[in-house]
Amino acid sequence: MVVDELDALRERFEGCTALAFADLSTKMILVTDSNSNLRREALDVLCAEAALLLGANGTPALGEQPSDRAAVASASQLRVFLRSEQEPNDVLCCICLPNLDADAFVTDAAACLDRISGGE
Amino acid sequence: MSELDALAQKLATLTARDSIDPSGARLISVGGDPAPLTAMLREVDDTVLERSLVFECAGTTVTIVAAGRRLRGIVSVTPENNADIIGQVISREEPDGVQAALDLLQNLCGKADRMTVRSLPPQAFGKGGERGISAKGLSELWGVTMDTTPKPPMEQFLSQNAESFSSVLHVRKGEVIQTAGDFAALQAIWKDQVDAFRKAHAKTLRGEEGAQLVCLEGAFDDGSSAAVALYENEVALVAYKAECFGHMQSSWQRIFT
Repeated sequence: MVVDELDALRERFEGCTALAFADLSTKMILVTDSNSNLRREALDVLCAEAALLLGANGTPALGEQPSDRAAVASASQLRVFLRSEQEPNDVLCCICLPNLDADAFVTDAAACLDRISGGE
Repeated sequence: MSELDALAQKLATLTARDSIDPSGARLISVGGDPAPLTAMLREVDDTVLERSLVFECAGTTVTIVAAGRRLRGIVSVTPENNADIIGQVISREEPDGVQAALDLLQNLCGKADRMTVRSLPPQAFGKGGERGISAKGLSELWGVTMDTTPKPPMEQFLSQNAESFSSVLHVRKGEVIQTAGDFAALQAIWKDQVDAFRKAHAKTLRGEEGAQLVCLEGAFDDGSSAAVALYENEVALVAYKAECFGHMQSSWQRIFT
């Protein structure tokens, strides 16, 4: 179950506050972790940000080619967006606290997305 | 420096947020900012009651005793070092000892990329009347600046991560103020993409956040990654190595949050 994977990832990282699995082709959030209390509007914003940063329409946000991984760090949050290697429209959107171990989180989040997209 | 300037600097230092290392030690120098010896002298200058100050950098631990804003001497060094000055109280009357202390500290810590300090209870050292030398006096004798003016945040970020970046384009108020490496691709981003991206991002978020670091892995055809750092009227574009992502993030958070 996708939600179980999201819950397990969130449980491993105290600094992770919300996870959402999205489909870039429809620009819709499909599943969130079970403890997420984000409202629909916030989920829409998160998905739109993923689409912008990962270049959903094939146009890179910045640079020469669309990225498969993006992150936005602000004073209050670190938001991470990952695109599946297997299904390019599958995206994991993550909201974290700024003091998270970013390297460790991205590694685990990418593995989580692989399992979800691979249907494990 | 006038007494008022000195007081203002001291208050700024005391009210500054400390960076705490995972070990619980305070991070006082990163990427040479400030220079490690400057950071050490500042710590001495901040120490009124007698304390042992334990500095760590690049696998070396240096323990000194300071009191009354004076360095009394170097108590110990780990790994073991046989320099004669270790265990001796330094004095203006023994200039060779003052120079030996500088040489030792310079050799052990002068080029450290990262230095932490812990303040511990004092340990027996020298005789009661041997007061050592003030931080200000050492600054003059050693030719080490005590200038405590920190670099602006964006400059700190760029200098602390310089090794992670293959190119840099730093813009303030629309004017390019610093470049490094082959920045042609960054210049193209600055010219053609940054404004549109910021507008689109702000529209998505319904307003632009304050300081932001946006990282896009593999954004360049050669596989390198792009990041844009935004802070007040400054924009810094960098090309970075993907494996440096975590280091950049922690550095950004330390400086801007």
